[in-house]
Amino acid sequence: MVAVAQIAVLWAAARQNARAAGVFVCASLLTGCASLAPQTALLREGLPQGLPQRVELTAVPFFPQVEYQCGPAALATALAASGVSATPDDLVSQVYIPERKGSLQVEMLAAARRQGLVAYQLAPRFEDLLRELAAGTPVIVLQNLGLTDGWHYAVAVGYDYDRGELILRSGETERQVLSFFVHEFVWQRSNYWAMVAMPPQRIAVTAEESRWLASVAALERAGGPRSARIAYRAFLERWPENVKAAIGLANSHHALGELREAEAVLRDAARREPDSVIVLNNLAQTLSDQGRDEEALPLIERAAAAGGPFAGAVRQTRQAILERISRTKR
Amino acid sequence: MKSAWARTICRLLVVLMVWTPYQIAQAGMIGTDQAVSTATQADRNTVLDFVGRADVAGQLQALGIDPATAKDRIAALTDQEVQTIAGRINNMPAGADATGILLLIIIVAAVWWLWRR
Repeated sequence: MVAVAQIAVLWAAARQNARAAGVFVCASLLTGCASLAPQTALLREGLPQGLPQRVELTAVPFFPQVEYQCGPAALATALAASGVSATPDDLVSQVYIPERKGSLQVEMLAAARRQGLVAYQLAPRFEDLLRELAAGTPVIVLQNLGLTDGWHYAVAVGYDYDRGELILRSGETERQVLSFFVHEFVWQRSNYWAMVAMPPQRIAVTAEESRWLASVAALERAGGPRSARIAYRAFLERWPENVKAAIGLANSHHALGELREAEAVLRDAARREPDSVIVLNNLAQTLSDQGRDEEALPLIERAAAAGGPFAGAVRQTRQAILERISRTKR
Repeated sequence: MKSAWARTICRLLVVLMVWTPYQIAQAGMIGTDQAVSTATQADRNTVLDFVGRADVAGQLQALGIDPATAKDRIAALTDQEVQTIAGRINNMPAGADATGILLLIIIVAAVWWLWRR
């Protein structure tokens, strides 16, 4: 609000005596602008390395919003770009809240997962937004266009660095052009909230390892093991050392009844992290499910001896394996 | 009549027997969520999350979403996300509308223009 007040004051001053005020406005804005749009000021110093001067993803479709439903419209736009055909109407029942006349950020992420995509919230950096666009991925951004409560989702589809402009699909405008400054001004009010929705075989160019893994795990929960299996494989190609991702891949295989594959993945993980209680437990369980309880027993005993936060789950697995063994002996 | 009941119960038992090993198998695996999250008190969190989920579904219903859909929508959220929005739905930003915004854009654009001059 302080920023808005500052602008209003400056505007009034400028109107009274444009020419004289010009000097004052320029002087105060040179210091003020960096704080109004710090990342734009940073970008002005030079184009970050590896980025093209201009990008526009012209193939990204446009769904004009109806009523207050910019959430479903923005989401449908991003989904379509990732090969999922859903209309805003299809998505209303997943992300729209009638009484609030709007859509929550977490539900935007969740709805993309339910379509089998990896939904990832970008780091709050203007540069990352540009990097995703340069890599061909449209980005959903949350802006606040009102004086207090004008929250609005739009989809960034391109930029022109020389002109300092961002290109968006927004509301009822198919090709909205906003200066970096104006966009940052309305975008920073959501703490630079931005998300991408990627097909499971792809990884966002700005993805951070641990947060991308959390996004894939969330996909496993909401989008099912089939998409998750693809996403974990892609993850492990990029970060092969990650044991947690191996656990996720094995869990997806297991949920699909692919016990041999689950076993192979877990054995590989056990070689790299021999003391992981989760790996030992899940490997023992997978062996037991194949009727190989005698092989499973020493593994689950090791997991039980290690204790730790998963002791309860391990105890149950061990109990079940012992019961199966005594049943077959009878 | 009696034999029809007996047959139904038999069928039910067969179905349950088919299901049982699968359910045990799923129960025996430690989920990826738990591997990824750093929470140590897994059991306690499960209870908290259950309460959180019911609570959030209730809030969604109060905001005009039918009960079945509300449950579905909450199921798609991670534990962490449920905890983020529990009790706060009414105060969170909800993207809505692009109208009524021109004033701000014009002001900002004017300042921008003055600055560039």
